[in-house]
This record gives sequence, C-alpha cells and structure tokens, in this order.
Amino acid sequence: MQFTKRNYLFARGWKSAAPIILLLPGFILYLVIAVGPSMATAVYSFTDATGIRGIAINWVGFENYDEFLFRGAASRDNIAALTRTLYFCFFVTTIQFVLGLLLAVLLNSKLKGTTFFRTLFFMPVILGVAIQGLIWKLFLLPRGGPAAELFSLFGTTSEFLGGQPKQAFAWVIVVQIWSNVGITMVIFLAGMQTIPDYLYEAAKIDGANGWQLFRNVTWPLLTPAANTNFLLNIIGSLQAWQLFLVLIGYRPGTQVLGYLVFAEGFGQTSGSVMTAFRQGYAAAASIALFMLVLLIALSANFIVSRREKKYML
Amino acid sequence: MTVASQLPTEAPKREFRPRRGPKLWKIATYAVLLVFAAVYIGPLLMLVLTSFKTLPEFFRNPTGWPESFGFGNFTEAWDLANFPRYLLNTVLYTSVATAIFVATSVLVAFPIARGYFKGAKFILTLYLIALFLPPALIPQFQLILNLGLFNTRIGYILLFLVNPIGIIILVNYMKSIPKELDESAAIDGCGYYRFIFTIIVPLIRPAVATVTVLHAIGIWNELVLPTIYLTNDDLYPVTRGLIVFEGLYGSQWPQLSAAVIMLMIPMLLLFVFLQRYIVSGLTAGAVKG
Repeated sequence: MQFTKRNYLFARGWKSAAPIILLLPGFILYLVIAVGPSMATAVYSFTDATGIRGIAINWVGFENYDEFLFRGAASRDNIAALTRTLYFCFFVTTIQFVLGLLLAVLLNSKLKGTTFFRTLFFMPVILGVAIQGLIWKLFLLPRGGPAAELFSLFGTTSEFLGGQPKQAFAWVIVVQIWSNVGITMVIFLAGMQTIPDYLYEAAKIDGANGWQLFRNVTWPLLTPAANTNFLLNIIGSLQAWQLFLVLIGYRPGTQVLGYLVFAEGFGQTSGSVMTAFRQGYAAAASIALFMLVLLIALSANFIVSRREKKYML
Repeated sequence: MTVASQLPTEAPKREFRPRRGPKLWKIATYAVLLVFAAVYIGPLLMLVLTSFKTLPEFFRNPTGWPESFGFGNFTEAWDLANFPRYLLNTVLYTSVATAIFVATSVLVAFPIARGYFKGAKFILTLYLIALFLPPALIPQFQLILNLGLFNTRIGYILLFLVNPIGIIILVNYMKSIPKELDESAAIDGCGYYRFIFTIIVPLIRPAVATVTVLHAIGIWNELVLPTIYLTNDDLYPVTRGLIVFEGLYGSQWPQLSAAVIMLMIPMLLLFVFLQRYIVSGLTAGAVKG
C-alpha cells in the first residue's frame, strides 16, 4: 500500500501515510470551522433559525429574502443600509487610495525621518478596532475635546459622533481611513521599491520633471500594487463595520450591511433599535452582502485587468 | 502615453530645476508629512494627557496639560476593569490558538507545497477560494452552540484554529526550499516528522514568524467574536473587557484612557521589535478584509 506519490522518499508502504495523517488535523479543522459553515450560510438563509439551542429550525424558502428586500419599512431601511454601504465603500476606497499613494510617494524619497513617519502611519493598523475606536471617541469629545476646540477656532460647533446620522457616518469614514491607510501606504511602498533606479535616471537625463517622473515611470510600474490596493480597499470597506460598533453603536440612519447582519443575528440593543436573534434572516442578509461584494469585486477586477493589459502588454 | 512622446517640449526646464526645485520640494514634503503626523500624534497625545488627569481636572480642562504626572488612573483602571483576568484570558487564547494553528498549518502546507500526494492541488485551491466564500459567522455560531461550546474557552479558541492566508504564505515560502534537501534527508534515514520540525521549520523561519505574528495580532485584537460567543465576564479577553469598561465608566475618560494605554503597550512593543514580520503579515493578511 502506497499513500504518497513516487517523489516521496521518506518511507514506503503503510508508513508513507504519514504526510496525509499529519495533514488531516489542520485540514479537517479548516473544513469544519471555515469552509463548511461558509457554504452552510446559503442553507441557513432559507430557514428560520434563531440561535437559541433546542428550538426547531424550519425551512421557509425565499421568505427571508422577500422580507429583507421587499416588505415594509424594514426593507426600506435595509435598502438604505445597502446604499450606505456603497457610499462607505466609495469614500473609503478613493480617499484611502489617494492618501496612501501620496504618503508612499513622499516617504519613498531619501529624506531623513522617513522610517519614523512610516512607523507612525502604520501603527494604528496593529491596534485593532477597540483601541482605534476609543482613541477617536476621546478625540472627538463634543464638549471641549481637541476636535471641538479646533472647530471652535473656526467658529463652528459639532456633536461629532453624537450628531446627525450623516455627520456621525462621515466621522466613521475618517476613523476607518486613519486606521487603515498604513496598509495601503506600505503596499505602495513595496511596489515602488521594485522600480529600478536607472529608469528614473534615464528619464531625468531626458529632462523629465517631478510630475512627469511620477506620471510616466512610477504610476505605470506601480500597476500591480495599485490594483492590489484598489481591490483590497473595495472588499475591505464593503465588509467593514466594527468601527461603527465601537464609535456609534447600532443607530438608525448609520447602519451598514455588515452591522445589520451582526445585529439581526446576534441581537443588539444599543441605541434605540432593538432586534432579536434572527439567524435565518441574518444569513439571508449576509448572502446579500456577499453577492454585493462579489459583484463589485468582479467588476473592479475587470477594470483592473484591462488596465494591467494596457501597461503590461 | 510614453516617456518619449513628452520629452521635447519639457527639456528646457532642466536649466533652472536643479537649483531651486529640490529644496522647495523637500520643504513641501516635510510640511505635508508633518500635517499628517499631527493627525496621528494628536489623538494619541490626547489619550496620554487624559490618562494622567484626575476626573475633575479632565472636566475642567479636557485638552490641556495635566497638573501632575501620577499613575493613579493606571492602578485604578487595573483594579476596576478586572484587568489581570482579561489580560490572562487574552494571552491564553492568543498563545494556545496560535500555537495549534501554526503547528497544524506547517503540516498541512508542506505536503501541499511538495505535491506529495494526489489531490494536493485541489486542497490548495480549497484554501485559495476561501477569500471568495460567504462569511461563516452564522453557521459557525450554530455549530459551536450545538456542540455545547458556547461561552466556553475551548469553543472560543476553536474559532481561531484556521487561517487560509497563513497556509498560502507557508506554501509559497516552502516552494523556495530545494527538493534535493528532502531527498538527501530521506536517504540519510531521517523520518518525515523529524525532517519537518528539525530541518524545514528552521529554514522557513521568516514565513513562520510572519504567519505567527499575523495570526496572533488577529486574535489579540478581535472584538466581534468575544461579543458573540462569550457572555461570562470571567472569560472576556481584553478587547471585550475594554468595551464593557467603557459601557460602565463611559464618562470617566482618565481611567479609560489609562486602560487603553495599558492595552496598547504590549502591541507597540511587539511592533517595535517585529515590525518587519508584522508589516509583511498584515499586508498579506489584508486580503482577508
């Protein structure tokens, strides 16, 4: 009995099962904890599962989807949450992309102190949402906080996170970008380090100025990094919602789809909205979010691969 | 547009550019960087200053310099927030789950990287498509619930034993180790298990470090899963404990700030010493979104 391919030389016969046996614990865990449940989300979306042990689960067909998208005031809220998710994605992706690129360009020079700045801008990434959120909650304190002081210099006041839903939403975008622009920056910097110096030298000898160097050398050769960042930012921001949890809680007029799934599935009583454990419904919502991510990621990928062809031949 | 097509019209600029350009450019760069730095240092400075104030002092003067630098808030927050217990929980979850994850992952990744058995490619694909699968949140909860592991340490740790990106990083790195090494070790009579843990693991140390750091940071910072799976205060990790603390003592920012700082310090120390691995891990891990 031989379990492995011919190129496996450590043992023959039944002893050659060792690689497979040793692989199994990790692989089975992966199937049971990740892949299986992931697939099962679709199944649960057709049931009325509650998340309370011992209550029977019934098959309800497309009921959840119907309710989620078409029925009553709740469905209008859901559609609003969906639109809001798209807004969040749009603003976070574009701003984070542009700022990340700007920082990378500035830090790619041989100026003194670049290591310090790079470390500083990347640091929030490792702190996690709880700390990122609390730091900004303190900074955005409406009564006498630093941001409020800054606003009063310009003669305005703001309630920040406690203000109008739109305002609170905008601040979450700010914190989201503050927390994650470091990743975008680092990916761009890694891309820039692969661009050989002689291209810049050659272009300089031909008389190219700073903007032309960027436009005709850096930017085209940065295509892979730019594409990675573009896709990462889109997918990441469509699914991001934890900062909403820490910064403003589940407040009407600010929910995004990811938070909605959590609130419907696991109950969330913070703020004025109270929801129960409706896991079948939440599964349907999470499939809706998943479809949205897939659709947008695929179309983004289409755009990106066309751009890649343009520059890479 | 190519470089060549734009050159003729721009060439004369060369005359004056080297004299004035670089210096101005340098000043402008620093100016922009300092503005950004202020946006990053500002909130952190506010946090540090607040942590040294007494509560009345904070209400009187939220943004100013503290009157004295004492560690009263830190010791109070440490006691009030049940901090030692939370910290112990986090350390336990992070170390146990990361150790199991890394050990099992090396054993999964190696035969896949080498193609030692039929279906290795298929299994790798199964790890690659993980990024394009729907979130597992709800069925995962049902699974843990029905196993009777809801609100237990084991159930919580179970959630962190897989990470497809880790496997992919390991497989890619292992492919750079020459196969001849396997052959000569096998001929010399080295067993498979011993070969992996005494020869391969030391050789792929950078990848192992990256994966370890990536996974550990993810667990350390996790906030949603403890909110879902743990209802018993004794089982909370620090992230959850911090949010609960905020709920209870929400307006007591001095103590809350002290608690946040105490939580940040281990992460920042880790960051200073392992920056290279953290950056490579998190940029690879960012794919997870």
